[in-house]
Amino acid sequence: MSVFTLAQKDKEAALLPQLAALTEFHRAHCEPYDRILSASGFTAASEISDLPWLPVRLFKTLELKSIPDDEVFKILTSSGTTGDVSKIYLDKAAAAEQQRRLAATVQTVLGPKRLPMLLVDTKAMLKDRRSFSARGAGVLGMSTFGRDHVWALDLDGQVDLQAIRDFLTKHGDAPFLIFGFTFLVWLHLYEVARDHGLDLSNGILIHSGGWKKLVDQAVSPDEFRKRLAGVGLTRIHNYYGMVEQIGTIFLEGPDGGALYCPDFADVVVRDPETWAELPPGKPGLLEVVSTLPTSYPGHVLLTEDLGVVHGIDDGAWPGKRFSVLGRLPRAEARGCSDTYKEAAA
Amino acid sequence: MNSATVQFRFGAEGDLTAPSEDRLAVGDERVLDFLAKLARKLLTPALARRHPELGSLGFFLRPAELRRAVAKMERDDALVFPRGNVFHLPPANVDTIFVYSWALSALAGNHNVVRISSRAAGAAEAIFEALNEVDADPVIARTQRMVTYGRDDAITGALSRWCDLRVIWGGDAAVDAIRKHPLRPSGRDLTFPDRTSWAVLSMPGWRAADPAARKAAVVGFANDAYWFDQAACSSPRTVFLIGDGDPADVRTEFLDLLLTVVDQRGWTVDAAMAVEKRVNAYGLAATGAATAVEFPDNRITALTLTGSDQVPRHWIGAGAFPFAQVGSLTELVPAMTRQDQTVSHFGFTPAELRAFAIALGGRGVDRIVPFGSALTFGAVWDGYDLPAEFTRLTTVTT
Repeated sequence: MSVFTLAQKDKEAALLPQLAALTEFHRAHCEPYDRILSASGFTAASEISDLPWLPVRLFKTLELKSIPDDEVFKILTSSGTTGDVSKIYLDKAAAAEQQRRLAATVQTVLGPKRLPMLLVDTKAMLKDRRSFSARGAGVLGMSTFGRDHVWALDLDGQVDLQAIRDFLTKHGDAPFLIFGFTFLVWLHLYEVARDHGLDLSNGILIHSGGWKKLVDQAVSPDEFRKRLAGVGLTRIHNYYGMVEQIGTIFLEGPDGGALYCPDFADVVVRDPETWAELPPGKPGLLEVVSTLPTSYPGHVLLTEDLGVVHGIDDGAWPGKRFSVLGRLPRAEARGCSDTYKEAAA
Repeated sequence: MNSATVQFRFGAEGDLTAPSEDRLAVGDERVLDFLAKLARKLLTPALARRHPELGSLGFFLRPAELRRAVAKMERDDALVFPRGNVFHLPPANVDTIFVYSWALSALAGNHNVVRISSRAAGAAEAIFEALNEVDADPVIARTQRMVTYGRDDAITGALSRWCDLRVIWGGDAAVDAIRKHPLRPSGRDLTFPDRTSWAVLSMPGWRAADPAARKAAVVGFANDAYWFDQAACSSPRTVFLIGDGDPADVRTEFLDLLLTVVDQRGWTVDAAMAVEKRVNAYGLAATGAATAVEFPDNRITALTLTGSDQVPRHWIGAGAFPFAQVGSLTELVPAMTRQDQTVSHFGFTPAELRAFAIALGGRGVDRIVPFGSALTFGAVWDGYDLPAEFTRLTTVTT
């Protein structure tokens, strides 16, 4: 069962009325959101790219929710690089739905059964409060899709070769799930598998977390796939997602090299000068669109990531194929009011 | 003090806090000579083209200007002497401001240590080059030193105990951080905390002005606003439209002219800044402070505020202009606070501006200047008479 089924035209026809209805719903139930739309003169959208987008950072500076306080079931937080924290409010229904859709998305590549799971991370990370919200939530969220979990790194963050070997002895002859952050997979799984001749050919790797550190080491996404294929790992799926649109992940297809949008989500690449939608091949700022945010107005978000759509309805799965290219640097001003960071520290 | 961690950008290397036999006078000829030569270097066309802000600095340091500043230090009721040792902590991001406060202090005959941020670049580098090229009396290098040092509280602490006056720029957080280091009992701080600045535009004055005057006003305003990304303490942020009736015609023409000027200058605002402005503008809309937000172009964001009590006092981005309408300057007075520094104006009579200043009564706003002069540094700054701060007085009664 796949959630990557709709051709672009059909997807837009299906999503636009839902997203327009969400816009109206959030206007009616989230006053700050309504004020933003009124102040910017929004009336109606005839295309997905006409829908009013919010900069994702607004969830760090404002409390945006469309549910009464007594229906808040879960508050998700993400730590940003500046120390600000996004706050995402879910009611029971939204929390259940995002988990259900996330499951459907990953089951597209994992199948309906839970697989034995190798986590390329350390259990100690769950105790580290500083990194927990981002990395820990990712690991915990994904771990529900596996069973018989084994951590590939010990409590000190060193590779636990024995644990990996034991895992492979027990589960290595049938499909198993490997999950981890891209950089950790490269550093702690690929190199160890290569050096010790581990057989990962039945593994299905799901990884995320950005390419920056790898690009610094001159490892491109293409190189990453090629090298992992060298240790037998050919079923590899990178994904892109954020806490502000929890439950929605954009998943790399079986053909590799690009991310696809599930049926309930889409992306728009915008020109950072005119803010108009850019055609395939032109890089710009990435906007993510999803019908899952029903308890907060996060259904149309402008990210601070740069991206490019490679093609539409021309890949392994239908819809837009795209890549995330990197992060927009944060705006910095010159100015008198600039703190002496060294002195303040 | 471990001098190995101190990088000397200007001046003689050695212990910064060692006692010195050198004596400078107020308006010392050796300092005047040095600053005049520095001004000539900064005003060379090649340098001024690369860093236009060095032009204004060079102008400020011309001999005639300096002699005027010295003359103002003299008093008929006391003898005027240097304050002594002065420790300057300028902001990292405004490349030229350290020169203004240091130069006035040097002119007053002080021994100065200026802490230069390791992030200083661009125009600051050009200034160090110029400083080091000047053929100066050796006493200058021994008494005027500019240093960069890393995260070292010991050095800041030693210089704080060494100085008679500590000059702290860089805003509230910088002031609070530096104040953790005690001064000697007779020492004092001269602080430059977070400030906010505004523009006031008389709607009757605008409508009465001819097109050339309106254009010139906007050129001045654009320089004030965009030069330091609207983030300098004296950069105008909210524009108060002063007068009754519908302001739409004035505002529209003002913004159209502003866009033309920005176009002509070739100024750009990058995507990150554009997003920053959206975040801040939407934030003001979300809380109800702004009823309209417009993004005609990345370089200009225009907001309509619900009232003069809703003005943001934090930086909201380069080229972000909230507008608020107020009936008269007098009505603006209650909205002004101690944090407010410069009000740049267009279209008012001198009497109106004086009445505004008198109504403010020193409770807020230190400078009222015409459009185009907001960033022009002066010896009176943030309400302080800097030459007076940099000197001490001896009275002789016979």
